[in-house]
Amino acid sequence: MPDPRKKIEALIESLEALRLHVGRKDLVVGDERVNSQLFFLLANACLRNRAVLLYGGMGANKTTLVNLLGSSFLSLSLGAVEDLMVTGHPEQTEEKIVGFLDPRQWSRSGGAIEMLWTPWARSRWKLINEINRFPSGKQNLFLEIIQKRKLSYAGQVLEPGDTCYFATMNPEFSATYPLDEALLDRISASVPAVQPDFLSGMALAEREREVYDLAEELPRLSSQEFDALPNLVTEVELSPQVELAILCLLRDFTLCERAPGFDKTQLSGIKPSKGLCHDCHYFNNPEVLCWQVDEGLSDRVRQDLRAFCRAIAFLLNRDADLEVLRAVAPYVIWHRVTPSSSMLNRPPYYGARKLSFVAELVERSINRTLNERGEMNMLFSRAVDGEMTLAVAMRELSDYDDPIARLDFIPALERMR
Amino acid sequence: MKLVRFMDEAYQGAARSKKLETRRGKMIFSLEDLADLVGDKPTRAEVEALVPCDDDLLSKLISTEPAMKHQLLWGYLSSILAERSAGPLQLASCNYAGLELRRGTIILQAAGDHVGERMAGGRIFIRGPAGDYLGQEMSGGGIVTQSCKDYAFRNMRGGFGVVLGTAGNFVCLGKHGGRTVVRGDCGVRAGWLMHGGSLRIGGDAGEYLGILMSGGKILVRGRTGMRAGWRRKGGIIQAGSFGPESEDGVMGLDLRLA
Repeated sequence: MPDPRKKIEALIESLEALRLHVGRKDLVVGDERVNSQLFFLLANACLRNRAVLLYGGMGANKTTLVNLLGSSFLSLSLGAVEDLMVTGHPEQTEEKIVGFLDPRQWSRSGGAIEMLWTPWARSRWKLINEINRFPSGKQNLFLEIIQKRKLSYAGQVLEPGDTCYFATMNPEFSATYPLDEALLDRISASVPAVQPDFLSGMALAEREREVYDLAEELPRLSSQEFDALPNLVTEVELSPQVELAILCLLRDFTLCERAPGFDKTQLSGIKPSKGLCHDCHYFNNPEVLCWQVDEGLSDRVRQDLRAFCRAIAFLLNRDADLEVLRAVAPYVIWHRVTPSSSMLNRPPYYGARKLSFVAELVERSINRTLNERGEMNMLFSRAVDGEMTLAVAMRELSDYDDPIARLDFIPALERMR
Repeated sequence: MKLVRFMDEAYQGAARSKKLETRRGKMIFSLEDLADLVGDKPTRAEVEALVPCDDDLLSKLISTEPAMKHQLLWGYLSSILAERSAGPLQLASCNYAGLELRRGTIILQAAGDHVGERMAGGRIFIRGPAGDYLGQEMSGGGIVTQSCKDYAFRNMRGGFGVVLGTAGNFVCLGKHGGRTVVRGDCGVRAGWLMHGGSLRIGGDAGEYLGILMSGGKILVRGRTGMRAGWRRKGGIIQAGSFGPESEDGVMGLDLRLA
């Protein structure tokens, strides 16, 4: 079997050469610059049971790009891939999306109950187009479906196998509905799809043939190659530095001195932006992240960070190091949190650059873990491994004015006593 | 795996001895934030103590048009950024640009009032006209501008100023030192109460040139207005020709000087 990565590289080149996607290279991984929209979609195509959301205005090549990639990865025509997607509108029902009981069976006697599953349900490449045009109640349907390997309806179960999930959405318009936080948490990464810049516009102007014709010229992966991708991604190892940085990143966002169990995901109603942090020791301390975002991060974030770091590293044929984590983490986190408006509204964010703000928080957490938390982490590790007494470790850790030391390490050692 | 080993691998065996310092910091993302901490009329030292270390953030702070009450702060920030910059700092028009500048170069497309005030070093180049109080109380460095309005180089103590076109009224009022050149004409009362330094005017000067001056040297290539050197106590005034009622002791330029 030929190396699937080579074919993906050929696909990237073809997309640009055929002027099917010529986005800005806005994802910086070390010395490399690539297009975030394309690479997150490719990364998701290399993973299974993850979901990537493309967020942007009309005509930003969101749906078409997902379908083009689907055409290449599933080795189908573009038209056939377009038939697989579902598009959001208020009249969509579970029956139209997933399938319904075959009415013909009622005229027959006996036999098992038969379902007519929709092409979308049967597909392993699921695109939910315009997801925020589904009314809020109908969005709940996707809570069950996204990241699952099977679908069920009326007691019948369909197992299409490991699936790649994609979604697109526009910013809030008159006919859209806000996305539920639980649904957003099931979306592994959210990527802004921006309009073509000047040079991209020039390049797109050179495209004279129809997209459907050009799509036929894209390289196609065999089903064997498509199925091999997850294993190839899993072979990429995450360095201990990255593992540690991910753990600390999650705790930085999630810990809250005033929340039940020090866990911000337990909060309901009262939040940092609604006065929870008033007079808190950590409030207004720029080095501490807890008060700067309302929500904590679930364990799904850890899984998504690990998976996408591996997948992006695989695509770029490099180690899954901290540079990859720095590049990937903002896209995995930013749609799941609400930054403090007092911070986000200020320059250089102006209330609009949420992704940049989250990237800054991520950078701060990683730098702090690597440069300032070494001694603290070693103390905790020695105590856990029994190399020093718990009492001494707790006394020394109490000198550290860090949320992780105070709210995570010391309580953990207390429980071990 | 033992947790110690995991940490050792994560930190690649490097001994990390630096303790955390979580201090109660203040985020400064706008001039309003800075003004909350130092007030609207701070000293440069107060601003310097709180100014962001991040040059990008500092650039963004001064890229916004300041409110009237934050212009002093903006001026200090422009100087601090110019001093940190490896190359010339290009700025749009604003009052107090280059306030107490010590080194570095600022290039302005046009200038408001109080540009280069109390500067001690560095250079300010203004591609358009400057407003009032240009280079007021400057003690070093240099300013080059196309033209300026009133009170330019007031109480100047050192450095140099060059006006390529015309200057307004009261140029070099109370000047103690430094060199000023106006290549065009200047308005009334140039060199008023001048104590030292030099003022050279390429064109004509207005009325009351060098009024009440006690030191320094004024040289006018063209003609002065009436009452040049009126109640002069010291210093030198030379001009191509003088208007009526000029003070005794002022001198005409000979051909070599011209």
